Amino acid sequence: MKENSKFLTNFAKLFSLNVVLTLMAVLLVLPFTWMILASLKMLDEIGYDTWLPEVCQWHNYRDVFTMKGIFFGRWYWNTVFVSAWITFLQVFTSSLAAFSFSRLQWKGRDKVFFLYLATMMLPGLVMMIPNYQNMIRLHLVDTYTGLILPGAFSAFGTFLMRQFMMNIPKSLDEAAEIDGATKWQLYWDVVLPLARPALVTLTIFSFIGSYNSLFWPLVLMKSPDKYTLPIGMLAFDSSQGQQTNLLMAAVAMSVVPMIIIFVAMQKQLVKGIMLGGVKG
Amino acid sequence: MAFNKKDAKDCAVGIGFLLPNILGFMAFTVIPLVMSIYMAFTDWNLEMHNYFRFEPIRFVGFDNFIKLFTDPDFGQYFGNTFFLMIGIPFGVAGSLVAALLLNWDFNGSGKRRIWTTMLITAVMIASAGILVCLGMGATAMTLLMVSLIGGVLVIGSLGGKTVYRTLFYFPYFTAGVATYILWKKLYNPLTGPINNALRPILEALNPVAILIAPACTAIGIILLVFVGLFFLSMVRRKLRLWRDGECGTLSAWLGIALLSLPLIFSWSWCSPSWKSMVEYNAACAVETARPEVLVNVSTTNPNPVWLLVMAIAFLATGWGFAAYRLSRGRKYNCIPDRAIGDSAIVDGSTMVGLMAMVGIACVFWVLPQMVLQTNGQPTPDGLTPPQWLADYYWAKPSLLLMGFWGAIGSNNMLLYLAGLSGVPQELYEAADIDGASPWQRFWNITWPQLSNVTFFIMIMAVIGGLQGGFDMARVMTQGGPAGSTTTLAYYIYTQGFGTGRLGYASAVSWLLFLLVFVVTMFNWKFGNRYTNE
Repeated sequence: MKENSKFLTNFAKLFSLNVVLTLMAVLLVLPFTWMILASLKMLDEIGYDTWLPEVCQWHNYRDVFTMKGIFFGRWYWNTVFVSAWITFLQVFTSSLAAFSFSRLQWKGRDKVFFLYLATMMLPGLVMMIPNYQNMIRLHLVDTYTGLILPGAFSAFGTFLMRQFMMNIPKSLDEAAEIDGATKWQLYWDVVLPLARPALVTLTIFSFIGSYNSLFWPLVLMKSPDKYTLPIGMLAFDSSQGQQTNLLMAAVAMSVVPMIIIFVAMQKQLVKGIMLGGVKG
Repeated sequence: MAFNKKDAKDCAVGIGFLLPNILGFMAFTVIPLVMSIYMAFTDWNLEMHNYFRFEPIRFVGFDNFIKLFTDPDFGQYFGNTFFLMIGIPFGVAGSLVAALLLNWDFNGSGKRRIWTTMLITAVMIASAGILVCLGMGATAMTLLMVSLIGGVLVIGSLGGKTVYRTLFYFPYFTAGVATYILWKKLYNPLTGPINNALRPILEALNPVAILIAPACTAIGIILLVFVGLFFLSMVRRKLRLWRDGECGTLSAWLGIALLSLPLIFSWSWCSPSWKSMVEYNAACAVETARPEVLVNVSTTNPNPVWLLVMAIAFLATGWGFAAYRLSRGRKYNCIPDRAIGDSAIVDGSTMVGLMAMVGIACVFWVLPQMVLQTNGQPTPDGLTPPQWLADYYWAKPSLLLMGFWGAIGSNNMLLYLAGLSGVPQELYEAADIDGASPWQRFWNITWPQLSNVTFFIMIMAVIGGLQGGFDMARVMTQGGPAGSTTTLAYYIYTQGFGTGRLGYASAVSWLLFLLVFVVTMFNWKFGNRYTNE
């Protein structure tokens, strides 16, 4: 009898917990629900009380790509291209620097590292204006190079990688040195494979960061066909934003890669946030 | 100095690995930094120095900074930045609640889980059936909601923690231009779903509002008195802690100063009448509206003096009491900045709660004027939903609401989850033996154990908040109406890239740096100590 009542209490607890969590989750997801449903409506239906479209207008999604002045497919490609380059370069330079800061012994190392750390607290805005002036001088305004280069170096990435590499046992280095490995081999064959979790984390972070970045593309890019998605969406909103159904279709499509990355990479991402957060 | 050949070689190798990074670091951080300092002290302005007209750039000393502090608009933007940071404690509290719920024991046996799922499905079908049978809305909308809730319930109880965590994390993860555009549409006063949902509710509430309209002033006053009394009791708590050596003198004063803010604001917030608010909004809607015009509109209805008297009375009582107690000395001494983190977090959060209460009092203040005309007849429109982003008074709260939506399931939730898994289980077992209630368990075990996580989150949020608001302002409001959502970051953008006053914009950005620097120093000085306590 007692077993039974305990089972029931637990059951009631679990049930109410599920209900509370569900209500919270639904509240958080409601805007997305509206977004999807609005993207399937006709323009006239947008202001109606009901959220459901009369007939699903799936062609809205196709229409976004053929709109005049909206180079949606091109923007998509630009964003992926730029983000991929930034991510690759950032991970590469950060891991090299982190290797130097964590596995090599040289004079003044910790002082230089402290300098790196100190720049992390500088608001990015302080550097934006002179950076833009430099880009004008280098004739890099409205080019992908100008978009990619400043993103290719990251103090945060270096910091994250260093924290991780510090925890890889030093004895591995010594063993490799005895076998006659050069520093480069040590980096490429020993440390880098072991630092894979940190590499994955940094890859996700920097990809998301550059996928969403608004400020720098906004000031740098001038010709609409070279826009990235965030500024492209902004241009869409300000020029043809009254077409809510098409706008929502575009928003939905631009959010999809994020959701895919998140669902696929969830485990690494959660680990990575702990790595960068608690220890920092 | 022993800097021999081997050292030199080591150094060369070390720098060699660093080279790609350090070149970028020089080009995009160090050089711009030096340039930025230089620019902040010059009159570099693209109107005077451009391709067609190049006057020599003059060094103007501190002129930019002086201009900054004498600029009447700047104070408003500064205030906006801090106003938007009010959302931080709410967001952190939200993610703590989410983390606590997710940390609950989900590991029911497989059998139990299946039972739960079956029961949930049954309840769901039953509720859908009831809704349809009662005709309470056999509409598509109701079915949509029921199926949405039901679907999440089934998937959630089958998939457990991971499903909910994923769903909670969505808003934060997708945050960016796309979701801001989405919210702009949600907030649309005419066609947005929020106002569509609010309109019938407010219509139904209108008679109630008319009924309580005569009592509204009284309710407002009661709320303000409550705020005052709460202020006094918090001051008393603070002083008791101080007397027992639980907190230092510096942190006592900091706490009391933070708690005083709502009372100081209550006077200016609770003043504007509905009529002047409407006029103010109308003035804001006009493109050419200048602050002078707006000030004229808002001062046509002066604040009631007794409100000021009341606020001052509460403040004087609290401060007098504090000064009296602090001058009398205490039983146990401690260092002046002990428990300063507690002051910052607990008192800061309480302050925000009190601010919210003052805001509610302010709503009650204007409610009678919304539903009743001066002759006592109901107004033709009755209660109407707000204009959200288009309204001078609602624009910032709208942004806060959106921020809260994104902040619940953020990184902070994940950090809290990690923190919760690190709390030793023995503590809870000991508490159970002592017969502690869940409430006591939370405040005496969980909260202190999480204090370092909370401190870290708060500091990061404040640093982010100081620099924040650019994306939102650019996408949703263009900084308007009448500058009510222009933050420091957006101001730098408009000055530097809009009007081309590079020197002035650099000066603003260095002021921003100074603020961030102060917070960072606070973190370095007190962060670790608080953790160790």
